[in-house]
Amino acid sequence: MTAASPEPSGPPGLPGPAGPVGRPGQPRTLPSAVYPNWEAIYSDNVGRIYRLMYSKVGNRHDAEDLTSQVFLTALGPLRTTASVGEVRSYLLATARTVLATHWRSTLGHQVTVIDVDAVDLEDFTGPGSDERSGPTAEQIGTILSGLPERHRAILTLRFLRGYSIKAAAAELGVTVSNAKVLQHRALRRAAGLDKEGDAS
Amino acid sequence: MKRPIDRYVDSLLRRRRPKPFAPTEDDIAVARAAIDLAAAVPDAQRPREAFVEELRRRLSEQEDTPQPAPAPPAAYRPRGRRRFLAATALTATGVAAVVAVDRAVTGSGSPAGPVDAEGDLTPDVGGWQTVARDADLPEGAVLPFDLGAVTGFVRRVSGRLQAVSGVCTHQGCRLRVDTPREQLACPCHGATFTLAGAPLTRPHGSRPLPALPRLPVRIEGGQVQVYGPAPGSEPAAGENQTGPARS
Repeated sequence: MTAASPEPSGPPGLPGPAGPVGRPGQPRTLPSAVYPNWEAIYSDNVGRIYRLMYSKVGNRHDAEDLTSQVFLTALGPLRTTASVGEVRSYLLATARTVLATHWRSTLGHQVTVIDVDAVDLEDFTGPGSDERSGPTAEQIGTILSGLPERHRAILTLRFLRGYSIKAAAAELGVTVSNAKVLQHRALRRAAGLDKEGDAS
Repeated sequence: MKRPIDRYVDSLLRRRRPKPFAPTEDDIAVARAAIDLAAAVPDAQRPREAFVEELRRRLSEQEDTPQPAPAPPAAYRPRGRRRFLAATALTATGVAAVVAVDRAVTGSGSPAGPVDAEGDLTPDVGGWQTVARDADLPEGAVLPFDLGAVTGFVRRVSGRLQAVSGVCTHQGCRLRVDTPREQLACPCHGATFTLAGAPLTRPHGSRPLPALPRLPVRIEGGQVQVYGPAPGSEPAAGENQTGPARS
């Protein structure tokens, strides 16, 4: 079941001086911007939803599938007269449902969730707009900063620099099987499973 | 022998789609950490062009095909492409309306823009609302006004009146006059506009902001009047009547 349609609101507002007004001759305030059509909704939000989904599933294939599902599900019921904020809330609510369904059908547990109250699609604007790349960069920093040096090194090489296990092993001066063990422990540590001094 | 969670992590590292398995609680925590890390790669930041285009095509097909819509209330059920054509038509009407308002502004003696030879086009739904006495608005003064649905600023410059909307075109916060700098400032994100409504600065990362809409203003019987909604009237959707002004 998808989330409820955005609540009906007043007539469309003005996206700008050249945009639509409700009726001629009535100067009005600007309650909020609206999207002129579904293509505008799509263009403005496809990147945001994709980045959000990628941050929740960690791979392109699933991120693309889930992004498609969000738009294919949401654009039908969406009114183009809904404000930008309403459209984004609706997309977010749909994304939450789509992600929950994905986890139910794959790992059977809600590995990651979208908290519609905490997530702001504005934060998923993407690269180029400014230095920040969404909440992901902060998250990575927090994960890595709490780890011992070797653990941080293997995870950085493998996940952030794209090293193969062989190359990472060479870089760290260990055997491949040691690198595998190191990576496994580092991930458990990063997941908060093993505390300092734990052997496993 | 590889644990399923290792295979899962491996897939993420190889940028492949991970295969489902029955995870333990620990596996889920590890998968979550791996997902967080895997999401830091560059292709997490930008969807592939081909994917974006393909999905756009699928959506446009879906919009063209009337849906046996799942559940939305009747009033909001999509009607395919026609719905968007209607929206576009509305937009066109809107543009015409803005032009009409603009002409009304010039026609009624606003300093901005050349006087239009086509004469007055009178807005037809609201009315002229008094916002100040003529005598209370000396040359150079800026006066905020609030007509309920419309707020703004009226000023007299070179002996002529000018009124602009008082709502920031970034996120709709109410502007205030920044007296020392002679500009309008937004208390929310710091956007600023000239007293004539032209955008000066915008919030970091925002797109260029539209200018503040100008409002028709006139002097009548010693009163400064701005065209706005009649007191107590609520904007209604769908009306598009033409006729003489109510005031």
